Amino acid sequence: MEQLKTLGRELAMGSHGQSKEFLDLIKSIGEARSKAEEDRIVLREIETLKRRINDADTPKRKMKEYIIRLLYVEMLGHDASFGYIHAVKMTHDDALLLKRTGYLAVTLFLSDDHDLIILIVNTIQKDLASDNYLVVCAALNAVCRLINEETIPAVLPRVVDLLNHSKDAVRKKAVMALHRFYQKSPSSVSHLLTNFRKRLCDNDPGVMGASLCPLFNLVSDDANSYKDLVVSFVNILKQVAEHRLPKTYDYHQMPAPFIQVKMLKILALLGSGDKQASGHMYTVLGDIIRKSDSMTNIGNAVLYECICCVASIYPNSNLLDSAADVIAKFLKSDSHNLKYMGIDALGRLIKLSPHIAEQHQLAVIDCLEVKGVPHKDEFIVF
Amino acid sequence: MGIRFVLMVNKQGQTRLAQYYEYLTLEERRALEGEIVRKCLARSDYQCSFVEHRKYKIVYRRYASLFFLVGVDNEENELAILEFIHLLVETMDRHFGNVCELDIMFHLEKVHFMLEEMVVNGCIVETNKANILAPIQLMDKSS
Repeated sequence: MEQLKTLGRELAMGSHGQSKEFLDLIKSIGEARSKAEEDRIVLREIETLKRRINDADTPKRKMKEYIIRLLYVEMLGHDASFGYIHAVKMTHDDALLLKRTGYLAVTLFLSDDHDLIILIVNTIQKDLASDNYLVVCAALNAVCRLINEETIPAVLPRVVDLLNHSKDAVRKKAVMALHRFYQKSPSSVSHLLTNFRKRLCDNDPGVMGASLCPLFNLVSDDANSYKDLVVSFVNILKQVAEHRLPKTYDYHQMPAPFIQVKMLKILALLGSGDKQASGHMYTVLGDIIRKSDSMTNIGNAVLYECICCVASIYPNSNLLDSAADVIAKFLKSDSHNLKYMGIDALGRLIKLSPHIAEQHQLAVIDCLEVKGVPHKDEFIVF
Repeated sequence: MGIRFVLMVNKQGQTRLAQYYEYLTLEERRALEGEIVRKCLARSDYQCSFVEHRKYKIVYRRYASLFFLVGVDNEENELAILEFIHLLVETMDRHFGNVCELDIMFHLEKVHFMLEEMVVNGCIVETNKANILAPIQLMDKSS
């Protein structure tokens, strides 16, 4: 049955325009029985590619295939730097698939301070101004991997314009490009930080979700400047938890759970040591704890993040009790993953409510018998 | 930083996909992949899916012959990352129809394109499967 499926797939592969040579290469890599055999195959492949790749008459589709084969060479641990320039050249191509493949190869091959990067910056600039939004997106992907402190000025103005592009996908990636600039050189965007606040209010949930990434960094670095956003974050989290986003953002019946996790992390930072800020959060936290599905991993992931938030902000006794109940369930679970998360959460809660440790003594001792559980030393003290 | 790398490695320790969100040289990657694959392959079904490695953690999940390994900072929600791995698999399933190791090998660039939509700057950015696959489907149509 497995063989039939393989044969069927092989027949189908040919119709995707992949050459027999490529199929044979993949097959031989897949069937290699030892690292030595794999190395022999790759070294032979390197010799083949070295002979052919500098041939100026190589058709573009063939060049794309050679570049993917170069990706394989490096993924299997061998140097393919002789081919880097061809990946760079492919980014110039007008055909989207070829351009994207070129960009992908360059991001996998090169660090952001490689000599060849300077050859790509012009192409990125040109593509950021394209009429085709998919080309703009491809360039923004590259910006997030290849632009560093030196090259930020070359693309910054265009990226800022793209924050207001009509296409959601472009705005989302422009936010991440600006995030990258903040990570590489905070001073380069210090006058542009309000853009992240604006994108938090974007109509598109994907753009809003993306803005949470830079906002998390900003709040980590300077929580006080963002206390005014507490009410906004709470409102958005409430709407998400109440299933007001389109169903396509659901994962295993949980509404945008990865967005919920990010927001909970941000709220944890904003509420820490701040009674007033924390006060705004208690209701939504209680609702999430009550409504989260404790039968699924993702439901429990959100519950865990909620507990971390509760343990981080100004204490609320009702929430602490609810959190303790959730932890008790985690510790009693058969799942080692839940036990692990439970012990971590317990550690955070104990700092606020030491009496919880006594209640859960037996459950904790059970967990410590399990291998691979962290914080063993902390609990032995009890 | 969040996510440091995403790896797909088979039972024999052969890398099928590698995406690093902080630059490592070829030698560093070889060494890292060797170390963590050994660690994860040595674990039993009775241990949890999270392994401490150097100053960060590895979240791993096995699907048939393939291990998915995600390196994350200690502040990450491990359970959420475990489900992110599953989301990645579900997304590949939707595109390839019952994805297997061979699909990933024959269409390596496609899987990278999916991951490019989902993780940016080491952060999970897109988890809506329609949004993740749309650019790839549009590109397939036009080529």
